[in-house]
Amino acid sequence: MLDIKFNNVSKKYKLRTNGDSAKRWYRRGPQKSGDMWALRDVSFQVREGEALGIVGHNGAGKTTILKLLSSITAPSSGEITIRGRLAALVEVSSGFHPELSGMENIYLHGAMLGMRRSEIRRKLESIVEFSGVGRYIDVPVKRYSSGMYVRLGFAIAAHLDPDILLLDEVLAVGDAAFQAKCLDRITDLRKDGRTLVFISHDLAAVYRLCDRALLLNHGSILVDGPPRQVIDHYEEMTFADQGTSLEEVASSRVAQCTSITFSAPDSPEIRTGHPMTACLGYRASSSVPNAVFRVSIYWPSGYLCTQLTTETNGCKPLLAPGAGTIEFRCSKLPIVPGLYRVDLSIESNGNEIDLRQRCATLRVEPGEIVYGDFFVDNTWEVSEPRSHPVTSKAD
Amino acid sequence: MSTPPEALSASQIAEKSRDVEAVVPPEGADAIAHVPVRPIKVIRPPSFSLSTIFTGLRTLTQYSDLLYTLSLFRLNVRYKQSVLGWTWAALQPLALMGIYTLIFTRVTRVETGGVPYPVFVFSALLPWIFFSSTISNAVNGLVLYPNLLTKMYFPREIIPLSYVLAALTDFCIASVILMGVMTYYKVPLTLHLLYAIPIIVVLGGVAAAVALFLSAIQVRFRDMGLAMPFLLQIWMFTVPVVYSLQSVPERYRAIYLLDPIAGLIESFRQVVVHGAAPEPRSLAFCAGLTLIGLALSYAFFKSSEATMADVI
Repeated sequence: MLDIKFNNVSKKYKLRTNGDSAKRWYRRGPQKSGDMWALRDVSFQVREGEALGIVGHNGAGKTTILKLLSSITAPSSGEITIRGRLAALVEVSSGFHPELSGMENIYLHGAMLGMRRSEIRRKLESIVEFSGVGRYIDVPVKRYSSGMYVRLGFAIAAHLDPDILLLDEVLAVGDAAFQAKCLDRITDLRKDGRTLVFISHDLAAVYRLCDRALLLNHGSILVDGPPRQVIDHYEEMTFADQGTSLEEVASSRVAQCTSITFSAPDSPEIRTGHPMTACLGYRASSSVPNAVFRVSIYWPSGYLCTQLTTETNGCKPLLAPGAGTIEFRCSKLPIVPGLYRVDLSIESNGNEIDLRQRCATLRVEPGEIVYGDFFVDNTWEVSEPRSHPVTSKAD
Repeated sequence: MSTPPEALSASQIAEKSRDVEAVVPPEGADAIAHVPVRPIKVIRPPSFSLSTIFTGLRTLTQYSDLLYTLSLFRLNVRYKQSVLGWTWAALQPLALMGIYTLIFTRVTRVETGGVPYPVFVFSALLPWIFFSSTISNAVNGLVLYPNLLTKMYFPREIIPLSYVLAALTDFCIASVILMGVMTYYKVPLTLHLLYAIPIIVVLGGVAAAVALFLSAIQVRFRDMGLAMPFLLQIWMFTVPVVYSLQSVPERYRAIYLLDPIAGLIESFRQVVVHGAAPEPRSLAFCAGLTLIGLALSYAFFKSSEATMADVI
């Protein structure tokens, strides 16, 4: 059964400075009118019980899809079919009124989300407990801390019991403990067979929660497929937009990196747990004492994953003028599948003389099975039980 | 002291749902534990059509609890952090009654047909304030909290309609004062007072129609909110509040009564002060006009609702 169906949906916004002013009425001649297509001819479907992730840059149309699904705005053309009760967890406390107490706001906000008063009364205790607001429940929410505000909002929304749940970056609220609680609740709903549409910049969360993903770009769907594939595509797209090139700089630098290639000796792809070779090309215009080369490999999030460096070898070569290569060999690559960004740098006597940020990417394909953050090289064997059977009987 | 059986903690609920999953396959669990028939909703580009009235009303009934909660909330918030609280609902018409009585009995005279002027003016001020306070609040209702429109969905007409219900409550409070004033001036309270109920229902319909129409326009053109205070002031003098319908020259009266508010306020005063039944033709005319106006206004509201979040 299909829960959501988008059929050639487009959404056009008129670009105006601020509403219609009287000027528009008496100004003669053709009027300047700008249209902005937030979505253009978008079609996709979500099956019952499926979790769909939607990724894309800011302004790609993610939020527009969410607003269309939750009826906040209507499409300019096309048709959307929704089967079942739908709840959107978007800025969960926007319906709060500061003058009312937490309790009164539960009733007001719950009703805005489409809950019956009887339903709210039934779930009241559970909502209050989930929010952790406790004895402040009768205090006007204008006296709440921002954390309490958001927690109460989410607690109400989490008790909606919808068939289809829309999430937009709500996991980015509250402290770590509360986030874990929210995630538990969402996982429970998933286990229960509810449909989920998840919009996020947190690619790891999309990978973890979703069965399928869409990549949006400038209002149309670029890729529709398994989360891994979509995330890779998205990351590649992101990297293409930024970074420096490895073209030679005709500068006074004494040494510079000129190329980097990653290869595997026995296959066209680089795989987790398989050998890898990184070949760094350089050119020096004069001799460089105590040279150190670094190949820094970054997660998409920007954190350093690992570094290949000549520093650890203890030998600090004196580079002669001219071109050359440095080859790093790794017998079993420990990093997990994904797309990484690469920085190159050369140091001399501890001073950086060349740094190329984000000048290359490294794609790692699945190889050895990895659960967790990295691959650990290991061997294993089974020791057969001897003649004595194991008993749990205590004398 | 025992907790009701439905009141489960969050962890218990989670536990329960896991149990269900363990016993029956997910499809089965879905059919048993949740709504068996799921509503199907089709969203299309907005258009002005009378069929939206029916789909709109169906959704509105699903959200009837919100209308109730929101109306209650209007009253609650209005009187929060105010010392006099609910007495304000009575103070406003009483103060107006005082000043109009001073002007129209001391400065100049108005023909009331023998009714004491305070009762005469107060009985018309109540329906007028019901109408005008609904309009002046509802016009700004949608734009007051733009977040509600851009971040979440519920039938938007609930906002203007909640002001109608809140004003109706104020009207009921002030009605008690009206009966007090009538007793003080020895105007007899008759069973004909019950005729006031249909009159107020129709007046509420007019107020709802005008509120829906103007609040939808206000989202696009803020001129509405700016014009409303003085338009309402002018409007008050075009209906028989401070003077009687009899003071209007006979040949203009037909045009004058085209405004349903004028007819309704006059009927209300007839019923309350003179203890007379309202003229059925006039009331039927007002009711018919209101019904048509309400339908058109609601259809207009629903067609502009779809893009309110984009233009606000």
